[in-house]
Amino acid sequence: MNRVNKLKTWTIGYTFVLPALLYMLLLVGYPIIDNVRLGFQNVDMSNFIQSDHQFVGFQNYIDLFKDGTILRTLFNTVVYTVLCIALQFVIGISLALFFNQKFALASRLRGLVMISWLIPATITAMVFKYMFALDGGIINNALMSLHLINAPIGWLVQPELAMLSLVIANTWIGIPFNMILLTTGLTTIPKDIYESASIDGANAIQRFFRLTLPLLRPAILSLLVLGFIYTFKVFELVVIMTKGGPVNSTEMMSTFAYKMSFDQFQFSQGAAVANIMFIVLLIVGFWYFRVVHKEEVS
Amino acid sequence: MGILQSSAKRTSNTRTMQTSAKSKAQWMLNIIGIMIVAVFLFPLYWLVITSFKTESEIFAHHITLLPQHWTFQAYSDQLDGSSYNILLGFRNSAIIAFGTLIISTVLSIPAAYGVARFKFPGVNVIVLLFLVTQMLPSSLILTPLFIQFKHLGLIGNTYWGAILANATAGIPFSVIILRTYFATLPKELEESAKIDGCSVLTTFLRIMIPIAIPGVVVAMVFSFLFAWGDLIFGMTFIGSESMRPITAGIYNFLGFQSTSWNNIMAFGTVSILPVVLIFIFIQRFIVSGLTNGAVKG
Repeated sequence: MNRVNKLKTWTIGYTFVLPALLYMLLLVGYPIIDNVRLGFQNVDMSNFIQSDHQFVGFQNYIDLFKDGTILRTLFNTVVYTVLCIALQFVIGISLALFFNQKFALASRLRGLVMISWLIPATITAMVFKYMFALDGGIINNALMSLHLINAPIGWLVQPELAMLSLVIANTWIGIPFNMILLTTGLTTIPKDIYESASIDGANAIQRFFRLTLPLLRPAILSLLVLGFIYTFKVFELVVIMTKGGPVNSTEMMSTFAYKMSFDQFQFSQGAAVANIMFIVLLIVGFWYFRVVHKEEVS
Repeated sequence: MGILQSSAKRTSNTRTMQTSAKSKAQWMLNIIGIMIVAVFLFPLYWLVITSFKTESEIFAHHITLLPQHWTFQAYSDQLDGSSYNILLGFRNSAIIAFGTLIISTVLSIPAAYGVARFKFPGVNVIVLLFLVTQMLPSSLILTPLFIQFKHLGLIGNTYWGAILANATAGIPFSVIILRTYFATLPKELEESAKIDGCSVLTTFLRIMIPIAIPGVVVAMVFSFLFAWGDLIFGMTFIGSESMRPITAGIYNFLGFQSTSWNNIMAFGTVSILPVVLIFIFIQRFIVSGLTNGAVKG
């Protein structure tokens, strides 16, 4: 290709990409940088409409850590995310293996499971709030009629149980994602590997742990990282089901940032919380790229 | 002869036994599969069924799996607009979701085409940027966007704040999905169009887009669904209650009337209606969209 043609291709390429790129730079790129600025300034309800703000250095961050709630929300979010990922993965891989067997309804039924991923999280949260309700909730009702409990349990009002309820609700949303990605991973494993393994006398459990899991490693790795990033930003489930309570026991980073900015109108503090959240996600993202890069090299 | 016959009979016997055992296992798998899915989808069943119950039945000591008296009370209650008008919420959600869909589709189709079919410096970085922005939490850009939108007059009695913000989720997802779609099309398409005298723009509009329609539909559906399910932008950027989406309506409703579950479930049922319809019609595209957008990209 000659120089003129090359330049022409470049120009055409850029022209096609530019509108969407500009849009994203203006509405995502710029706000991310603006968030950093907000975190170092003192911006609240009284002065946010003005253009110049007082530079306060790390004061917002110092205030946040002095108050301590930020550490609690970081802890909560990590616990929630790890529990969700573990549960979703175990159920997701079980379902993927089950529906990977050959039977008439397999792909049809597997498709039906997808719907929980598409339902707006607000609606899911609302249904689970009702199912976990102290009064009239079907979960308490079922447990009582099975005589597993004598009195209704306050699922959403006891700290640990509130967290567990959120994890269960989010697992319901996340199962299809895990199942589909693992199903795709399973299709890449050649069938004859299993045949030679069963000739060698490996039973089903051995085949799963020695063959399936190691061969799925790349799929599992990206699944866990994507799962972490998508689960970490939980918002709707918490604001609908527990509102962060009881006493901050289910307050997450996203809901805390929201409360700071739009309940207390401390925009700078809200921005600072969001920045800390961003840093956590960046660390996970870099770790992932490094692991993937290493594996590709070796 | 006799020996041959009997041995042939024996093999056919074992074969039928094998197939019958196989079909038995098939039956079992199908039944177990149906049971798993039934348990899994129970929350949705519960959502819809509760919306047809009377308030007294909901709070009865004994929980009923089917309504004893089917009633549309929960729906008609919402229509008179005494608390929150369900149709109004539906309309608001539709305006926001279609607005998002339009912006997202118009911008992402050319962008996806550009990164998939042209080699230029920085193209990989741009794809990576789209990938990363797709993963970012909304809470990250919420505060700065609120302040910027306030300056621009996009907060309050307007859908624009929510639409513009929701498109930031639809665009990267659509670009990633459509990029894989455009990338698989044969290079000869553009070459022969060029020989026929088509300009780059006509090739794109008349040849490439029509071929990519299945991918475009998936991208449109996801942009729509993202915006349809949005709560955070709708409740933060839209000031007037009568303009808020149905999700924000539910949020408010739950705050004030925490006990009328049938009314809340009626809300929920109405708001998942478009999702379920879309799901029925394009289920197989959604699976491919999910795997393409999430993994390959």
